[in-house]
Amino acid sequence: MTGTHCASPIEFATLVGYWVGELPAAAEAVVEEHIFACAYCTQRLEELTVLSLGVRAAVRNGAMPVAITKPLLDSMRQQGMRIREYVLAPGERVNCTIRADDDAVVSRLQVPLAGVKRVDALQSLDRGEGRVQQRRVEDVPFDPDAGEVLSLPAAAELRKMPAHTFRVQLVAVDDAGERPLGEYTFAHTPS
Amino acid sequence: MPLDVAPLDDAALARRIAAAGAAVDSAAEAELYRRLAPRARLYGLRHLRDPHAARDLMQQVLLMTLERLRAGKLREPERIASFVLGMCRMVVLEIRRGTWRRETLLQTYGDTAEAVDASEPLALDGDKLAGCLDALAERERTVMVMTFFADRSGDEVAKELGLSAGNVRVIRHRALGRLRACMGGEAA
Repeated sequence: MTGTHCASPIEFATLVGYWVGELPAAAEAVVEEHIFACAYCTQRLEELTVLSLGVRAAVRNGAMPVAITKPLLDSMRQQGMRIREYVLAPGERVNCTIRADDDAVVSRLQVPLAGVKRVDALQSLDRGEGRVQQRRVEDVPFDPDAGEVLSLPAAAELRKMPAHTFRVQLVAVDDAGERPLGEYTFAHTPS
Repeated sequence: MPLDVAPLDDAALARRIAAAGAAVDSAAEAELYRRLAPRARLYGLRHLRDPHAARDLMQQVLLMTLERLRAGKLREPERIASFVLGMCRMVVLEIRRGTWRRETLLQTYGDTAEAVDASEPLALDGDKLAGCLDALAERERTVMVMTFFADRSGDEVAKELGLSAGNVRVIRHRALGRLRACMGGEAA
């Protein structure tokens, strides 16, 4: 198995399981024996690895917004990211910015989540003079025990933005419909 | 005209290197290195989670392997891949125990460094990946970040997000399929 094909390639899901350390030791050993003898599966693992490193770089560079959890926020800081933090209770407004030495900013929206199955975020970006963009983000991930919803905007984009007001309304969604959980306002000024 | 070594399998390359001994079959060594170096580097990345440490591991293991082949100390050349894997496991174990002595190894095998070539990982379009990540559903993107930035297993992601592990693996599989398709590769 030194060519560009493999008679019994490792399933991609198994490669992912191997990469994230989910496989039992015996299964992991089997995967490694196969990889070391198979150029084709080495190439596929390489692709997964490159994707993994790319995701890391995208997070570090603030290339896209992402909803996170408190343990993930802790991991980011442990990996050296400098993260400015804004904690808001429902109804609160905060003056905010991102500075040159910040890798990211995180909003921590305090919200009662007991019994909540799904949270949607209704976002409104007001650039002044009537220029308002609205967007609904469905099914925002959250830790149901945490009592807060955490999210990182795309830092790279935020750095370029002029002063604006960003409002977020969190709503709980279930079979009966939806109910408001809290509204939060960010008054952003460039640093 | 030198023999083209590309069609040879790993064991045949190992036998050629062993047969050449001190005369050094550079073509066979370069080809074997080209094939095995990415595997050692990926092993290092998986177990050390550090690209620099992984590259270091790759170079050390391949140097030791070539040196042993030249010296005729590898008794079963047809098991060259298993031998390299075993060396990787041993070095990672010693790195974790804090007993790895890189300097000593370089003093011993430093001359071999001239014979080997670099193995660079594939390049990736970061802007394109960012766009592809942005196009994922919110939950998919979060699972991708938890998995690949924070090295969380499916069970750990599930616990943090209040989901079942099976559900997380489905989300992860779907998100990876979309990412790979978006990046121009095959769907998972």
